[in-house]
Amino acid sequence: MRTEARPAIPGHELSTEEQRALAVDGVLPSRVMRHSSPGDAARGLQLCAEAGAAVIACGGGTQMGLGMPPLRYDVAFSTLGLNRLLEHEPADLTCRAEAGMRLEELQTILQAKGQRLPFDPPHPDQATLGGIVAANTNGLSRAKYGTVRDWVIGIAVAYPSGKVARAGGKVVKNVAGYDLIKLHIGALGTLGVVVEVNFKVQNIPAAEGTVLARFERAEDALAAGHWLARRYLLPAWLVVLNREGLGLTGLAAEWPWALAARIEGYRQDVDAARAEVSDAVRRHTGRVEAQEAPAGFWEAIRDWSAPAQNAAVVFRMASSLIGIKQAVEAVGTDGGVAAQPAAGIAHVRVAANAASVLQRLRRASPDGTQVIVERAPAELKASLDVWGPVPAGFALMQGLKRALDPTSSLSPGRFVGGI
Amino acid sequence: MEQAASERLARQLTEVVGARYVLADLYERRLYQYDASPETALPDLVVIPGSAEEVARVLKICGEAGVPIVSRSGATGLSGGCVPIEGGVELAFSRLNRILEIDYENLRAVVEPAVVNLSLSLTTRPHGFYYAPDPASQAASTIGGNVGTNAGGPHTVNHVTGLEIALSSGELIQVGAKKSAERTGYDLTGLLVGSEGTMAAVTKIWVKLMPVSPVSKTLLAVYPDVATASEAVSGVVAKGILPAAIEMMDNASIRAVEAATHAGYPVEAGAVLLLEVDGIREVAEDLTQQMLQVCKEYGASELRVAKDEAERQALWRGRKAAFSAMGRLAPDFYVMDGVVPRTRLPEVLRAIEKISERTGYRIANVFHAGDGNLHPLVLFDGFKPGQYEEVLEIGNEVLKLCADVGGSITGEHGIGLEKRQHMRFVFSDDDLEVMDIVRRVFDPKKQMNPGKIFPVDGEEAHPVRARVTAPRARAPAGVAGDEEIWI
Repeated sequence: MRTEARPAIPGHELSTEEQRALAVDGVLPSRVMRHSSPGDAARGLQLCAEAGAAVIACGGGTQMGLGMPPLRYDVAFSTLGLNRLLEHEPADLTCRAEAGMRLEELQTILQAKGQRLPFDPPHPDQATLGGIVAANTNGLSRAKYGTVRDWVIGIAVAYPSGKVARAGGKVVKNVAGYDLIKLHIGALGTLGVVVEVNFKVQNIPAAEGTVLARFERAEDALAAGHWLARRYLLPAWLVVLNREGLGLTGLAAEWPWALAARIEGYRQDVDAARAEVSDAVRRHTGRVEAQEAPAGFWEAIRDWSAPAQNAAVVFRMASSLIGIKQAVEAVGTDGGVAAQPAAGIAHVRVAANAASVLQRLRRASPDGTQVIVERAPAELKASLDVWGPVPAGFALMQGLKRALDPTSSLSPGRFVGGI
Repeated sequence: MEQAASERLARQLTEVVGARYVLADLYERRLYQYDASPETALPDLVVIPGSAEEVARVLKICGEAGVPIVSRSGATGLSGGCVPIEGGVELAFSRLNRILEIDYENLRAVVEPAVVNLSLSLTTRPHGFYYAPDPASQAASTIGGNVGTNAGGPHTVNHVTGLEIALSSGELIQVGAKKSAERTGYDLTGLLVGSEGTMAAVTKIWVKLMPVSPVSKTLLAVYPDVATASEAVSGVVAKGILPAAIEMMDNASIRAVEAATHAGYPVEAGAVLLLEVDGIREVAEDLTQQMLQVCKEYGASELRVAKDEAERQALWRGRKAAFSAMGRLAPDFYVMDGVVPRTRLPEVLRAIEKISERTGYRIANVFHAGDGNLHPLVLFDGFKPGQYEEVLEIGNEVLKLCADVGGSITGEHGIGLEKRQHMRFVFSDDDLEVMDIVRRVFDPKKQMNPGKIFPVDGEEAHPVRARVTAPRARAPAGVAGDEEIWI
């Protein structure tokens, strides 16, 4: 039998310390690659594919806890060398940047022109644009302003074929060609590595306000949230927390349940919305406790789902607006809860018995609810069914993976159903 | 298709949908050879299934027979998207036209593809909710068709949360989050929206409902020319105001509209601007005042705010009738759907004017100034030999112009047949290769709406010009403008 010698695995060697820093679920890479142009990145991916090396793309590393432990991992593929702003035309409300740029850096540039991306993922000082796209990291304003897919208007992706291909464009209204942008949002880098992103941006709202309210019972807090979810003046952030959840924000309040609303808009919008939130609270037997939040409170809520502690286990539940109420009530005292009743999303931070709590939540949640493990310590993850059952259309997803990454060199095994 | 093969296929399909819903006569097939574009092509058979399961069985039969399958519902498309250029089976969705469910608690509706866009909002508005994508054709175009081209003011894709699709393999699957916030796996729903029926046939659609804005205020501003009006738009945007709609019409359009609808636009004006803001009353009124101020600063010769809903509808009526009103100016028009960055509008409009001067064809402009979506209308007479060909050349030039300033060749009409060669203006071979790879995952033999979106090697732009068949009957004088054509 004749065996063909494979090319050596490309990239630079890593020290043990560097290996640890780049580990994914405890699996260590042997090499690192970092490029400063999209073309070089694509050639790098091609070299990896030819060498049979498994590649995991990483940016700021804030969402590396997503997904199953990789089946193989040879090369850490850093996008941090791709960090330039390419275009920003304030009057067009659009911008274009490389994928390795940190969100906060882009926001600072936009802010100078009174603009922003309405993204509020955890740790924006670390999170990169490409990472936000790949992990589909949506913060607390998703119900009001939409998710990542609503703001990305163009994309460039490096493929293992060695090519860079684009989709979408630079204008806000565009239906030319397939919308391959959607394919890469949330794909965890399993189909290609995002190297450039074009966004539309928005003007920073003129005013903002806060309402913090206390509830005795989960169902009332969630019902108030649901009532607000269907109103025209939806708060930008609308979060329902249980006592454990609230404790994790650092707010020294012993309320059984809390509703926190961060309101944005024109001054009159803010006044009207504050009145509406207060009305919703009273209608549902809650009590308005404050009209402003203590320093650091909103940042703590923003980062709530991505705690720095390695030991933390976080689940993300997604359901309909009605379904999420039931799903959250099912959590009971098993963990801290931060629910977004207007989005149909809830994060649960579990202290102990993660596997059994996960099973129970999946059983107890209403039909159509999905519970995924957003992060868990490596040693625990192997025993958790991270994604739950495969979604409908899974055969098509496998087909897409085979077609775009035939050697399965991109993040093998991390995605849904072992893709 | 060979006569014998066609008859065999018709027999098989009849077993699925019944004889009444398989059309094979030339006379009947002719009714399905067109959309709202000038291009036509005859299907070999027309099939009108009555359920998603029937759609899937039809696809399986066609898939095995290697026959092209073209989906069609409202046929209001302007790019030849549902014109069966390679023959085969035209899958008419007209019987799948029910709103299946409206779930106000979860802000979702479930509809069949041939539900007319506007009918969903008309049904839900009394309850305080609406379906946001609103292409100007919304009184006739269907949600299934909108999903195909990703049409509508705010794009359809952002409002579709799930799809039931039939594949050429005969499989019927439901993808996406549907009523839930999200679903694991790749976003197949997002990928399929806007794929113009080239990957799958859509049999069911889950959409978002939104709360209706308490107040909408509409303002009309009159300017001496389009350039000044464009500057006023920039001025409004620079103020941080983002109106829900910014529509502009040039003098040619104004004259045509006024003659047809008597909407009250000043016929001497170089340009009129329609601005609309949504919000709670205090905000909408405040923004309207601010916009009035800006419009005045930029030299508006007349400003009018709609005092009530009737006046607002009257102002909009002129805009919505703009295309049909063109019949007042010329027997035919050819419309484009280019997009440019808003800041490049004035220069692109000047360049279009130059093209008009050079070629001698009058070009009217009606467009969505807020998002840089241009609809230049080249006026011509299709009965005069050579004019249509020359007009298509103008179309090429305008789309190239849009692409060259960083824009797009289509903002809402889709690529279809019309612009498949223009895809190369905006996409490289590598870009197109990835799209083709993705398509084949869904439809390995490329039977779903073949001949659309992808450029054909060695073909010039507008490959179908020679296929424009019999000249259309000239309308009797005086009826133009009585029917609305929506864009």
